[in-house]
Amino acid sequence: MDVTLGLLPDSPAGDDGGGVPSGVSTTVKSILTKEDNNKNNMVMCSEVSSSYPVGDQHLGDLELGLGLSIGGGGGGGGLKGKVVAGGGWSQYARILTAKDFKQNSCSSSSCSVSIPNSATSGFKRSATDSVSPTNGNSVVGWPPVSKAHRMPSLANENKSPTGNRISVTEQNKSKNRTAVINDYSNEKARISDKKYHSVKVNMDGSLIGRKVDLNAHTSYEMLAQTLEEMFFRRRSSTEAAKSSRLLDGTSEFVLTYEDKDGDCMLVGDVPWQMFLSSVKRLRIMKNSESNELAPRFQENNERRRTDVV
Amino acid sequence: MTYSFPEEVLEHVFSFLTSQNDRNAASLVCRTWYEMERWCRKRIFVGNCYAVNPRVLIRRFPEVKAVELKGKPHFADFNLVPEGWGGFVYPWIVEFARVYPWLEEIRLKRMVVTDECLEIVSKAFRNFKVLILSSCEGFSTDGLAAVAANCRNLRVLDLRECEVEELSGHWLSHFPDSFTSLESLNIACLSLEVSFSALERLVSRSPNLKTLRLNRTVPLEKISKLLQRAPQLADFGTGAYSAEIRPDVYSSLQEAFSGCKKLKSLSGFWDVVPAYLPAVFPVCSQLTYLNLSYATTQSPDLIKVISQCHNLQRLVVLDYIEDMGLDTVAVTCKDLRELVVFPSDPFVADANVLLTEEGLVSVSQGCSKLQSVLYFCRQMSNSALISISKNRPNLTCFRLCILEPRAPDYLTFEPLDVGFGSIVENCKELTRLSMSGLLTDRVFEYIGKHAKKLDMLSVAFAGDSDLGLHHVLSGCESLRKLEIRDCPFGDKALLANASKLLTMRSLWMSSCFVSFGACKLLGQKMPGLNVEVIDERENLNLLPENAPVEKVYIYRTVSGQRLDMPDFVRIMGKDKNGVYNLL
Repeated sequence: MDVTLGLLPDSPAGDDGGGVPSGVSTTVKSILTKEDNNKNNMVMCSEVSSSYPVGDQHLGDLELGLGLSIGGGGGGGGLKGKVVAGGGWSQYARILTAKDFKQNSCSSSSCSVSIPNSATSGFKRSATDSVSPTNGNSVVGWPPVSKAHRMPSLANENKSPTGNRISVTEQNKSKNRTAVINDYSNEKARISDKKYHSVKVNMDGSLIGRKVDLNAHTSYEMLAQTLEEMFFRRRSSTEAAKSSRLLDGTSEFVLTYEDKDGDCMLVGDVPWQMFLSSVKRLRIMKNSESNELAPRFQENNERRRTDVV
Repeated sequence: MTYSFPEEVLEHVFSFLTSQNDRNAASLVCRTWYEMERWCRKRIFVGNCYAVNPRVLIRRFPEVKAVELKGKPHFADFNLVPEGWGGFVYPWIVEFARVYPWLEEIRLKRMVVTDECLEIVSKAFRNFKVLILSSCEGFSTDGLAAVAANCRNLRVLDLRECEVEELSGHWLSHFPDSFTSLESLNIACLSLEVSFSALERLVSRSPNLKTLRLNRTVPLEKISKLLQRAPQLADFGTGAYSAEIRPDVYSSLQEAFSGCKKLKSLSGFWDVVPAYLPAVFPVCSQLTYLNLSYATTQSPDLIKVISQCHNLQRLVVLDYIEDMGLDTVAVTCKDLRELVVFPSDPFVADANVLLTEEGLVSVSQGCSKLQSVLYFCRQMSNSALISISKNRPNLTCFRLCILEPRAPDYLTFEPLDVGFGSIVENCKELTRLSMSGLLTDRVFEYIGKHAKKLDMLSVAFAGDSDLGLHHVLSGCESLRKLEIRDCPFGDKALLANASKLLTMRSLWMSSCFVSFGACKLLGQKMPGLNVEVIDERENLNLLPENAPVEKVYIYRTVSGQRLDMPDFVRIMGKDKNGVYNLL
């Protein structure tokens, strides 16, 4: 295995540590990995000479598709066949960013990005971003407010803080001091952001298991959304509308979970909080395997099959 | 060297060097100075507990009185570091107990502290004085009971935003009656009630008590009693600030506050009943620190308090303050150095309050000493950022969080590159920056070019390509901490700037495009770095080399590999013995 490592740039003038003044071009050796075959450790090295002239919109070779080789299998020709049955690894790798949906359409394969100096993006985000458009709750750790400064009680208390009036609830609170204190400790236990609650998720036909933090979600809908984003890549917002949903039975997969007793249950039957306390792991099951679940579900199954035929 | 100072003189001179940086510099001068310095260094700061290990520390510094350690990366505060990652303080405590019987102070941040650790601390160090646990977890009230019972000379017990397993509130009663040295007690993060009479007795027999921050369960009606017992308090945190409206309660509260002539810091205010707020008016003009971040009440009530705080230097408040309230701050708090505005309802897209960028601009105009900002809002514009930067070139810390990721300038729909660029260009002393909103590679270009004093940078949902990361790594000379999430940065910039990483404390990248192969390569070729891949997926060995990792945490270290890693953490490129694995 021939490995040349030019991790450090070779020209003293263009060193990577100091403040390189603008306009100086830097010769950088970088490592590009290419998968010619499926052997794990094959790396090929090439010297990439790039210039980073400030103010110039052309980005130079550095911009070459590392994004491609991960995201679209541009360089990874031989790889696809080997990877998991759920569809190429690229599915899991790609984080869709604003770049994919720019109006000035940088969809050319070189994906050179023009530095916008005019209004390019009148949009906020695309529907298929890893960030939920309406509710930031499904993005872990965003907004970046630490636990101590999240305000859990606001959801339960009066939304609009009253002025100088003292509300009935507050009067009651001061009377039932003990009750209030107990509530606080219960609240703390209930507060979904107090602790991680990660469970493993496996999908039939996929070798790669994932983990999802249930406490970053507040409803089945949100959870299904996250899982769909994890396991079923959606290419555009139009596809998102048509794409199948795990919860309503239109997908070829169903979402199930293993509970405390080891039973395999259909997700969605019990209230969310109850689900949280009994779920041990999740499984995205193929429809055909779902026979051991609740009869109600099978009925839906059969109905659908006859519809299709 | 024929002439040299006697050791005693050197030691005396070194005693004037307080900053760790100065001491480090002195120890590099020559062998003699190194030896002298190491023998007399009393205070140790370790910014990353895995950068060094206890043995190395103890070998070099035999006479340590105070230790400060930090564990998990900053993004752990936002649930990005899976539980069990590390930061266990136990091995350190065990070594300290063995070698530093006269250790007096321990400060820990984001570390896992067990009850056993606390028990050891309480018994091994006879003169133990200061325990400050910041964002720590892993211990219960039993551990606190041990500290209370055994630390005869304790002065400071400060639990800042810790996660404590609360078995009972009785731990406080374990402070013996003979214990009178308490100077600072902060239990604000605890949720269980502690015995009020035990608390009252403790306060009564602690003449040196300067800081007392209660937890939510201490009722408002009882605060007056405590304040009367401790009129010398400089820093007070109330419990729940609500009670039935009763004139006698109100007047005794007001009287109690009036008696606190030295009170400079005020916090707490959970569940605030606005009618009781005026009780603090007597102390407002003394206050230099006011934390109303739990006060869920509207702007007019907040304004009534703040408008009297002419000497305020640090203000922490919820966005209930609104632009109107911030205008008041701008007019009243002419000595303001730090402003923090937290979001009251961060998970809702629509604004529930009238807080916009205007409030921040207003404060930047009115408060000429403003240096540090942490601001959560829902909209921002380049013009506002430019104004802020021109108003306040003396900013040293600027952290802006626009709640919606990738939100553009709400007026022009452009990215906020130019705005943040203006911040780094005008604020030449900027040491800490957190950005948000729609940002392209251009903003990183500005940062690399101008932010020469930048020490810590936090980036989320920004940039277009590796060029962005390259600008930062190659341009920011003073950069020590870089944390990135959800940005399209991959291997190239990282590998090209590998040696830069040795000049930094740490680099965090999650949900980016850094590949397994690159991590392995970096780990193999850079022995001075630990390249930790943090990835919770199963069957990782089936993934191809160019597959991106979930999270990577890279830090320089002299201690080699960690041995306490959970299964989802892999240190790349080194085998178990720390030998470099080239395969």
